[in-house]
Amino acid sequence: MFLENRIFRHFDFAFLASVLLLIACGLLAIYSATYVGDAPAFQLKFTKQLLWATIGLAVLAVCVTLPLKFFQKYAYVIYSVALALLVVVLVVGTGAGTRRWIALGAVRIQPAEIAKVATLIALARYLGDEHRNLGTLKDILVPLALVSAPLLLVMKQPDLGSALVFLALILPVLHWAGLSGAVLFVILAPLVSLVSASNYYAFLTAMFIISAGLFLLGRGLRFFVFNFVLNIGVGILTPMLWGTLKAYQQNRILTFLGLVTDPHGLGYQVIQSKVAIGSGGVVGKGFLHGTQTHLRFLPEQHTDFIFCVIAEEFGFLGVLLVLSLFLYMLLRGLNIASKVKARFSSVLVFGGTVIFLFQIFVNVGMTIGIMPVTGLPLPFLSYGGSALIANLMIVGLILNAWRKRFDYF
Amino acid sequence: MKGQFDSTKRIYYVLTCILFLILGARLAYLQLYHQDRYIRESERNRVRSVIVDAPRGQILDRNGRILVDNSPSYSISVVPYEFLKSEGAVALLSTLVREKATDLVSRIRKERIGNFSPVRIKRQVDFRTLSAIEEHILDLPGVFHNVESKRTYPGGVNASHIFGYLGEIASRELKSTGRDKYRPGDNIGKSGVELLYEDYLRGAAGVKYVEVDVLGREVRDLTELNNQPPAPGNDVSLTIDARVQAYLENSMDGKRGAVVVLDPRSGDILAFLSKPDYPPDLFSSPLTPKIWNDLVNSSEHPLYNRASQSLFPPGSTYKLVLAAAGLETGGINLDETVFCPGYYKLGRRPFKCWKKEGHGTVNLLAALKGSCNVFFYKKGLDVGLDNWAKFSRLFHFGQKTGIDLSNESVGVVPDRTYFDRTYGERGWTKGLLLNLSVGQGDLLTTPLQMAYFAMILANEGVAHKPRLLKSVTDPETGAVQEFSSEKVVIEGVSAETYQTIKEGMFSVVNEPGGTGRGARLQGRDACGKTGTAQNPHGESHAWFIGFAPRNKPEIALCVMVENGGGGGAVAAPIAGGVFSTYFENGDLMAVTD
Repeated sequence: MFLENRIFRHFDFAFLASVLLLIACGLLAIYSATYVGDAPAFQLKFTKQLLWATIGLAVLAVCVTLPLKFFQKYAYVIYSVALALLVVVLVVGTGAGTRRWIALGAVRIQPAEIAKVATLIALARYLGDEHRNLGTLKDILVPLALVSAPLLLVMKQPDLGSALVFLALILPVLHWAGLSGAVLFVILAPLVSLVSASNYYAFLTAMFIISAGLFLLGRGLRFFVFNFVLNIGVGILTPMLWGTLKAYQQNRILTFLGLVTDPHGLGYQVIQSKVAIGSGGVVGKGFLHGTQTHLRFLPEQHTDFIFCVIAEEFGFLGVLLVLSLFLYMLLRGLNIASKVKARFSSVLVFGGTVIFLFQIFVNVGMTIGIMPVTGLPLPFLSYGGSALIANLMIVGLILNAWRKRFDYF
Repeated sequence: MKGQFDSTKRIYYVLTCILFLILGARLAYLQLYHQDRYIRESERNRVRSVIVDAPRGQILDRNGRILVDNSPSYSISVVPYEFLKSEGAVALLSTLVREKATDLVSRIRKERIGNFSPVRIKRQVDFRTLSAIEEHILDLPGVFHNVESKRTYPGGVNASHIFGYLGEIASRELKSTGRDKYRPGDNIGKSGVELLYEDYLRGAAGVKYVEVDVLGREVRDLTELNNQPPAPGNDVSLTIDARVQAYLENSMDGKRGAVVVLDPRSGDILAFLSKPDYPPDLFSSPLTPKIWNDLVNSSEHPLYNRASQSLFPPGSTYKLVLAAAGLETGGINLDETVFCPGYYKLGRRPFKCWKKEGHGTVNLLAALKGSCNVFFYKKGLDVGLDNWAKFSRLFHFGQKTGIDLSNESVGVVPDRTYFDRTYGERGWTKGLLLNLSVGQGDLLTTPLQMAYFAMILANEGVAHKPRLLKSVTDPETGAVQEFSSEKVVIEGVSAETYQTIKEGMFSVVNEPGGTGRGARLQGRDACGKTGTAQNPHGESHAWFIGFAPRNKPEIALCVMVENGGGGGAVAAPIAGGVFSTYFENGDLMAVTD
């Protein structure tokens, strides 16, 4: 019992329990989404996911027990291997019109998911250095480079959803590591201008907020004018440049950004997804009784649209349960990130939490029609082995960090 | 450091909570506020993907006449989820389709693939049942009908052994074909051309998306979705000439036997029939066990293909083989004569000639014309068993002709090894050879092999693999794929020998005293040979093989009437009818050409 004691002392059981409950919800939903009959032969996807969850928990156990120092020491090695896999998948990858999977016999692994964890560890290694204060340009450029490499490789597959995860990770992590709010604001402002430039009122509102922000930062007149002109310039130039593009080029960019997609396919998907969710009502239609789910009009209902299955069959109450579990997990993650002594662990835990937050919000937002359809799975619930294992690795690292929260290294 | 994390943490705490509030609010808006609207929409908006079967290809004759076509038939399907919920509906439907409710329910449970995919419960519903169901459709949630197609035979020919029939795919077949191409309940060719050219005829099913209401009725086609139209099956043109086929089916009516007519220039099968046959549309409707049992257990064996599966002794038609063997090996000379007193004595055992009073003195040509047994008994001994067997095999007896139909029989050509094996090394005498010389005894052939032999004689040593498939047409593109037959050259028989045999066959049909005068056709110089094969099971089998015209033959055939009697009296006139039907047709074609 000595070993058990060591591992389970200071162990965050509640965090693990919330993850396990989420996986259980996912299995239930996958069972329903792929249900065709009572024979076990029909429940292939469910059985497979159960197997993946078991393997994932073993991986989690490894990540909890290995010293965090190990991950810190080999961070760049892990990162390089992940990048190599991303290159390999571009050569030998399989998938419908894409190259996302490496087939190893009957098993298909998705290198983008491995890269997610590896990049997180590499970022934590670089930004977790006790002497890093993010005062120099280099301190910002290296993390940007660390994220850009997998980002570009994943885009090449192409897998926009996974690529966005890398993009979403970088700014919050820099911020956490100490990048000042002012710099963050200066970086974010032109992006907001660019996006809002498509709509007159949105742009005016954005300019107002940006001006107010710049003023409040109080860095002097030259700083204010430079940034103000920059943002106005971006806002004016964007529609002009946009106008010079040919229609198909515009379409290509919009499609690439996930704003316009095959109008027959995805628009229809979102409508049906909303109908599925809305018709679930308060308590849902009951397990295996979701008419929308079982008519199989959503091609990705056991992967990207798994949330619909829960919403339709278990209603608002089911949705509240899942969202509460997610929210608890995320807030707990943030809490752990702020409590652990080692800087490496802190950045690691925070980054992992941000990855989860981004994926959850974008995925659920997509099913209820407030986010574009990008093809991002819902952590712990969507069908898919690589994602589940990668996510459980992050969970393992978070639990590990909490266990060793008093250690500096 | 710690303080910094704490303040940053607070920002992300708030951010996370705001994002979740947005999600929660939106979900509450959809699920609580707009619940009724979306429930209504989900009731109304039931998208179903429907498999659209491809129309099966037509089967045509060589002149483009449609022999096998499709016509609509109705089937009843239910969606288990909607149907099984309603006990009233189960009771009502079971009355309407006359099946016990418990049986119906357990069948649906067994055959369903998921709760929402329709299960077909009854095929080929008659119109009265269909209209009764439509009348009560409001009380039958989840019940709907489909239009399917069934085979019809508008060509005026049965040709049941050529066409074969369709049947529901068996689970064994499903395993080998894979589920991509076929689903349970699909039709598949079970025999004949339907089986052999299944891949051409079938086409590929399509998918369409339809919106159905709560009663399972199609509201509209969702054309904006990714519909896949079915690819219709290819039309198969056969080498069959429907006029010849129809003539033969008519003239063979009430008889048992088989006729094979082919074009010696190409191996095209012009007519191919086995009697008794069965109306091919018997299999278009659901087959009752009684009809099936009657078919299988009938003493007449209508399912059996006598033309290429059944084996018979060929009788005197086979004297032609001995004639060729004799002429080639020197066992027979043209001017050599034999005296026929009506019997031949081998040792103390007499072998009878069919003509009791005897043929008198005959040479080869006279012996062929009058079909003298005694001449061939004697010559059989001169030529010997080994030469006889060698030439039998040379003319492809004891082998498959290679026709594109399943289950062709090879027949039996006895030789020394065969007799040693069957009767023991010293257990057989030359008497067996005497029987073989006149096409009796252990020798067995199919009518198809005899027609093939007639083709070799007609072409003087050239055969073509008999075939039914002429061409395949893609109905969408109009692209035609033509098929041609393999040519087989028979080496080792001289042109003089063929000339002599043709001379003999000509006299059989055209000269006074010939046994096959019933096949005579003015101006067409038909050639032939009759046969009357004795058999222990009753009346003799009547045979005729022949071709016409004598020079540049266009048609070769074999007629066999099982237990029909004399070849000259029964088989030859049928052959004559074929010749006249064909050439009448041929003349017509020549004019239109």
